[in-house]
Amino acid sequence: MASTKVVNIPKGGFSFENCQRNNFMAKQGFPAPKAVKTGTTIAGFIFKDGVILGADTRATEGNIVADKNCFKLHYMAPNIYCAGAGTAADLEMTTLQMSSQLELHRLNTGRQVKVATATRLLKQMLFRYQGHIGAALVLGGIDSSGPHVCCIYPHGSTDSLPFVAMGSGSLAAMAFLESGWKPDMELAEAKVLMRNAICGGIFNDLMSGSHVDLCIITREKAEMIRPFEVANVKGERQGSYRYPLGCTATLSTRVIPIEIESTVVRPVAEESMDTA
Amino acid sequence: MSILSYNGGCVLAMKGKGCVAIASDRRFGVQTSTLAMDFQRIFEMGPHLYVGLPGLATDTLTVHERLRFRLNLYELRESRKIKPQTFSAMVSNLLYERRFGPYFVEPVIAGLDPVTWEPFISAMDLIGCPNVPEDFVVAGTCAEQLFGMCEALWEPNLEPDSLFETISQALMNAFDRDAISGWGGIVHVIEKDKVTTRLLKTRMD
Amino acid sequence: MACMMSNMSTLDALSPDWLTSEHSTGTSIMAVEFDGGVVIGADSRTSTGAYVANRVTDKLTKITNHIYCCRSGSAADTQAIADIVNYHLEFHEVQLGEAPLVKTAASVFQELCYNYRDQLTAGIICAGWDRRHGGQVFNIPLGGMCVRQPFAIGGSGSTYVFGFVDSNFKQGMNQDECVQFVLKTLALAMSRDGSSGGVVRLGIITEDGIERRTVLGNELPRFYEG
Repeated sequence: MASTKVVNIPKGGFSFENCQRNNFMAKQGFPAPKAVKTGTTIAGFIFKDGVILGADTRATEGNIVADKNCFKLHYMAPNIYCAGAGTAADLEMTTLQMSSQLELHRLNTGRQVKVATATRLLKQMLFRYQGHIGAALVLGGIDSSGPHVCCIYPHGSTDSLPFVAMGSGSLAAMAFLESGWKPDMELAEAKVLMRNAICGGIFNDLMSGSHVDLCIITREKAEMIRPFEVANVKGERQGSYRYPLGCTATLSTRVIPIEIESTVVRPVAEESMDTA
Repeated sequence: MSILSYNGGCVLAMKGKGCVAIASDRRFGVQTSTLAMDFQRIFEMGPHLYVGLPGLATDTLTVHERLRFRLNLYELRESRKIKPQTFSAMVSNLLYERRFGPYFVEPVIAGLDPVTWEPFISAMDLIGCPNVPEDFVVAGTCAEQLFGMCEALWEPNLEPDSLFETISQALMNAFDRDAISGWGGIVHVIEKDKVTTRLLKTRMD
Repeated sequence: MACMMSNMSTLDALSPDWLTSEHSTGTSIMAVEFDGGVVIGADSRTSTGAYVANRVTDKLTKITNHIYCCRSGSAADTQAIADIVNYHLEFHEVQLGEAPLVKTAASVFQELCYNYRDQLTAGIICAGWDRRHGGQVFNIPLGGMCVRQPFAIGGSGSTYVFGFVDSNFKQGMNQDECVQFVLKTLALAMSRDGSSGGVVRLGIITEDGIERRTVLGNELPRFYEG
């Protein structure tokens, strides 16, 4: 194994240098902790003008809530977004990597990226990793062939359907979608149905919670509504638990002053980034 | 037992008004026996940037060295100080590279933006999933206790002095209920013009 | 004594099987040859553990205009294989300048299924029509064998209907008789197999291409249900 003292320029790709050590420790009775999963409720469906995606905002680490207002709707391309469930780190990294590949594809071809392209790219990558990358995605977007919603499972299988739900709260969400979805819904109706579906997960699934985030993708634009609804308002604190100054006994105090020797202010003309 | 709690230890960070604070305990143990009471698990990565690496002590040291190396390369290449957000992404990438054979650390990052002086905190799981909240982050063996303390004590726009009291009391009261954390505490309060490092007087049992 | 906190989550034990188990098509699939083409059929259920992940799946996947495959086993594996075979045959068609043979498609399937037999869970029926040999059915079951059969059944539901097909298959059935044969067999399989169900998807491949039909669950032939 390479020493940390030796120059070690990261090469890219996964590193397996710790695997032998970690397996040894597992044999000694110290198994590797299970990767953090986000129990989630995510859903997506097609409505009259495009596609709507929804997600809750709870991230869990075992039975503690790690983040009460996390982002589960990820940008893939200007016309494609996706919602993720499963291993949190895998979702973050997979969607980042795929969105950059889709952007390169868009620049190379000079065309709007198709939903099918994004689906293909994701399913082939996930299949290569044989389910070890725990990313379950609901991909939604609109392209030259119309609106699409697609489920992508960690093993690399895909289902293209008019309405889908995923994650631990998918049963609750699917109950609403199965009873409430119909073709060519108006935007207002669609928002209510999606809100109900996600709230179904928030209130009936322990691993989903907090608020409802929505993403609405139409021919004209993609709009992220965060939060769409604050389903759980934090209670107002009745009094302050603030400790008065000087409550904490200290052994020593060291102040490192940071002196600024020079300040160079270089004005930069405001220029909006081209994201089209 | 989880390998993350083999050596014990905890770190937390909080946002204040124009400042951030990061704190940790100082115990180094091997399971239930305490071996040292001056272990460093918060590292200075820049004048306004600190990282806490609770978890398996051997990985605390290794990850710190690897981060220092990558940070030095970055600053040589870019000739500027790193932003806390960028550093957070760097840590995240380092950990995710070892997705299938991880380092057993759960980093906590606290810092001020070198240009806008905007406070920044973030925490990660052991494979580098970033969590960037508006209030506080915790990690380590008494994370549950820390969550409870912080939920009760933290309030928005704390001045540096109040932030110190809040973070110290949250830390001490949390690790007093954890057998493998404690034995002294250290708190860094990071402001635009100075960083104040205080060692806390705590129970030593 | 209160010991050090175990990091094992109590919720882990509660997490249901459909969160973790692989997405698979517990399936009933079938294909029958007739003079001038083939009839293919499948149910539409995709299950993950006890949860029906998709109730309107299309397990009849296009390879070329005149060659289709019926997929059973792991959804991820069979989709990946079908994509790869589709790629090879499209390329082959361009090189050949004419439509590929069904046999060619079947042997590409067979080769993949055999070479990766330890890693794949895929039972495939490859069927289609070509100018040289007419309608053909090739069965490629789990280990990667390939055999031509006058008719083939596959998937978990097929175990319930082997007796039925053996007693009801007649040599030289016409197209409509074949469609009825497939429909009856799949309806029987779906009613007995818990992991098959939904609608029946049919495809009739002849020289003119494919004709797709969907028979809804309430329109299926019904048998003894006591």
